Formats: sequence, structure tokens, C-alpha cells
Amino acid sequence: MNETLKLGLILLLITVISAGVLAVSNNITAERIAEADKIANEQAQKEIVAEADEFRTLDENKLKEIQNANSNILEISEAYSNGTLVGYTIKSVSSGYGGDVVMITGFSLAGKITGMKVLNHSETPGLGANSTKSYFSDSFKNKSVTNELYASKNPSGESEVQALTSATITTNAVLAGVNAAREVFVSKLVN
Amino acid sequence: MSIFTILISTIFVNNFVLARFLGICPFLGVSNKTETATGMGIAVTFVVTLSSIITYVIQKSILHRLELEYLQTIVFILVIAALVQFVEMVIKKMSPTLYSALGVYLPLITTNCVVLGVAILNIQEGFNLIQTIFNAVGASLGFTLALILISGIREKLELADVPESLKGFPIALITAGLMSIAFLGFNGLV
Amino acid sequence: MKLSKVFYNGLIKDNPIFVQLIGMCSVLAVTTSAVNSVAMGLSVIVVLVGSNLVISLLRNVIPDKIRIPAFVVVIATFVTIIEMFMKAYAPSIYQSLGLFIPLIVVNCIILARAEAFASKNGVVASVVDGLGMGLGYTMALLILGSLREIIGAGSIFGKSLFGPGFQPALIFIMPPGAFILLGILIGIFNNIRRKKASSEI
Repeated sequence: MNETLKLGLILLLITVISAGVLAVSNNITAERIAEADKIANEQAQKEIVAEADEFRTLDENKLKEIQNANSNILEISEAYSNGTLVGYTIKSVSSGYGGDVVMITGFSLAGKITGMKVLNHSETPGLGANSTKSYFSDSFKNKSVTNELYASKNPSGESEVQALTSATITTNAVLAGVNAAREVFVSKLVN
Repeated sequence: MSIFTILISTIFVNNFVLARFLGICPFLGVSNKTETATGMGIAVTFVVTLSSIITYVIQKSILHRLELEYLQTIVFILVIAALVQFVEMVIKKMSPTLYSALGVYLPLITTNCVVLGVAILNIQEGFNLIQTIFNAVGASLGFTLALILISGIREKLELADVPESLKGFPIALITAGLMSIAFLGFNGLV
Repeated sequence: MKLSKVFYNGLIKDNPIFVQLIGMCSVLAVTTSAVNSVAMGLSVIVVLVGSNLVISLLRNVIPDKIRIPAFVVVIATFVTIIEMFMKAYAPSIYQSLGLFIPLIVVNCIILARAEAFASKNGVVASVVDGLGMGLGYTMALLILGSLREIIGAGSIFGKSLFGPGFQPALIFIMPPGAFILLGILIGIFNNIRRKKASSEI
């Protein structure tokens, strides 16, 4: 019994020292990790609502209300240009092939999608990972918010976007996320 | 995600060995005989399911609450190591033949990517406890299925005329590749 | 043992992927592109060298009976550190490697070197062994990853090679391609070793 106790204590000591090292490491990196996220977010917002110079997060209560009805919505921001509201950016998430796909969609008050960017994904390189390429995200620009978006090989209509070759699941995941955002924009934000 | 979707997804569509590449070492190492493969599959199922439940509870009640999420890797692997020791003792007592057949591969379940992989995925995918259990069961069933399938093929391959350089691992890998292509056919299911 | 011999061992003679045939899970999953392969290889080198160093330093202190759990704790610590720094300073690579960063903990190579070498040899030799094995692993990963990227996506390190008209063989980016290519590579390596062995007789 004494032997087992001694061994257990030594193992505990090693574990505690390791936990300590990790706590220090965590302290060093945590701030930077949060920063990196924030920077990526702001960069994406500027990209998809080009005319805006200021973004303000939506009132917390309103956001909670929307999230209760639609769990795909992560964040909503109001986009301002020279103090006037010009549109919204909505961050949404949906299930893709290899995990969650997180995207941010920009909407203008004129009822058009100003841009879309896939922020996080674990999709297959060469297939679903092409969702970050410009030929895909550009196809979302200037599309109308009146109807649900769908994908096709040669998109032409107001609600048609580019389908990703051999990556139906990823394409559908992005569509699900963007359409959820579109739904929220149309029903809850433009009143 | 419904439980049915989880099961179909983990066993067939995203088979943990043939599509997610978890559990390759035992997949290639233990699969020469179907009997050993089945025994390994059962042992892994037991370890994966139990460890998923325990790690899930620890994550939710301790790590998340105390904001110690960065200790996840250490804590999870220690839980798994302890569990495997326990399973080893149980198998040694209950079936000495299976114990000697599994040999060094039994303690190696600790380093089996499936166990740690499933534990981490349960948290990442945001499952609740019931979904976690079914994810664990599905993943191990998928692993066992792949293991039994390839051991059946390898038993036949022993009698075939394989080029010298391809004998053993290389031909097993190529076989696994062909199996993986077959499983790709499940892709539209979920 | 001469240090250069230790290094050569890890790199070629006892190459963890092509000869020892361990650490396979990450090889197949991560080699979808050359960039991912290099990133993973570097991470493994850091963890391997770090854990070999610490375990070699503590080799006379850790009791034999709990050595495996002790090794695992040390390895897990290094993996978590790498994870944190990658998340902070290289988030896009962290995204693409995904689950396989924490899975470095159960990469058989690291535990095997701790058990077979670091626990029995001096600090400098252990570090060199870690470097050798790590580079051998990275080399194997780079070969497989580059092949898969070239044939499966028509690019290397993200740079398109054959122009837009090229129809890549997508199967090589997907799981089956990984299995088949690795099998063929090991077969080729076996062939080279056999020819070398028979010519030395």
C-alpha cells in the first residue's frame, strides 16, 4: 500500500508541475488568441460591407431574442457609413463535412447581399476548402434577399450562387448558414 | 443531430478508420486474424464508450466550470490510460486466451487515436450526454466493422501471390484504400 | 553511440514511417497538402525534442512502475503548449490541422522514442534522436503530402502547377488516395532496402 501511495504521489507531483507550466503558457497566449479572433472578424467585416467605416454590435437583448429563434446565428453587427446605418453583418454557423462552417454575410438596406466570407471550416482541401476562394464567395455578391439562395453550376439568377465542384455537403452548409442569416435580416432587422 | 444520423454517420459515412484516419495502428497491426480483430473491436468499444462518458462529465463539471479547458488533453489522456489498465485486468481474468492473443496491442489501446479522438470530438461537436454515448458506440462499431472486414480480406491475402516488397503493410494499406473507396459510396446518405 | 549515427538512424535507417511503420494516423490525415505536412512535421519535431529532453533529464527520477503515465503527462504538456502557441500565432494552420494537433499525444512515435531511447540515454543524445526521428517523420510526410497535392489538386504549397485546364485526380486528396499512395511508397522503400541488402551480401 505504501509503495502504491508513493508512486501515486510522484505521478501527482509531475502532473501538478505540468499543469503549472500549462497555466503559465495559457496566460501568455490567451490574450493573443482572443486578439487574433477579433482582428480576423474586423477584417472580414470590412471586406464584405466595403462602404462601411464603423461596425457596432447589435443590442444584446435583441441578439438573444434572435438567437433563441435561430440557433445558427452567432453575432450581428450594424454597419455605419458616416454615422448612417447602411447595412448589417451576420455571423452564422452550420454543419459541414468535416465539422462546423462559420461564415459572415453582409447585407445592405437596399435588400442585397454585399458579400460573404467563410471564416472557419474543416473541409477537405481541394474540395470543400474552396469555399474560401473568391470565385465562390464573389458569386454571393449583389444577390437579392427576397428569396432563399440556392446553388448551381452556372449561376445566373438573382438567387443563384456558385456550386462547389464535388463538394455538395460544404456548399449546402454555406447555403444553410447564409440563408439563416438572410431570414433573420428580412424578418427581424429590416422592419 | 438525431441519434440515428449520428450512428449512420459514424459507422458508414464518416467511418472512423476509413474516412477519418483514426485507429490506423491497431487497424493494420491486429487485423491478420478475424478472431483477434473481433476481440480488439469489443475491447475498444468498451474503452471508447466508458472513456467518452467519463471525459464528458469531467469536461462539463470541472474543466469548463473552472475555466481550465487547456488541461483537456492531459486530463483526457490520463483518464484513458487508467481505464485501459482497468480493462486489461478484467480481460486477463475473464479470458486469458484473448489476453495473450491481443498481446502488446491491448495496452496500446491507450495510444489508439480513436479513444482520444472520440473524446475530443464529443466536446467539439457540442453533443449532450446521450449523443456522446451514441457517438462513442457508433465510432467503435465503425472501427470494429472496418477491422473485421479487412481481417477477412487479409486472411485470404495470406494465400495469394503478393510481390515481395508489397507483403505485409503495403498491401494492407492498398486494400484499405480500396475499402475506403467503397465506403465513399455512402456519402450522400446523411 | 556516435551522435551522427543516432541522427542518421532516425532520418533513414529506422525511419518511423517507412521502416518502423508507426505514427500512421496523422500521416494519412494531414498530408492533404504540402503546407499541412510541413506544419505537422514541425509540431512533432518540437514535441519530440522537448519530451525527449525532459524525459532524459528525469530518467533517474521517474520510478519504473509509473513511467508510461509519467511520459504521457510530459508529452501531453508539450502538445498543449504547441497547441496554444499555434492557436495564437498561426490560427489558419491550427484550423487545417484540427483534431490532429491534440492527437500528437497519442502519436506512437513520441511514446516509443521516450520508452526506447530517452529513458535510457543522455540528454544530448536524446535531443539528437528526437531531431532525427522528427525530421525522418517530416520528410515522409512531405513526400506523401506533396504527391497528394500535385496529383490531387494540381498545386504544390498552394501554387498552381498545371494551370486551370488541369483536371486533378481528386481521389488522391480524399482518404482512399492516402491509403493507396502510402502503401505504394512503403512498397518502394521496401524494394530499395531489399536491393541494398542483397547487394551488400
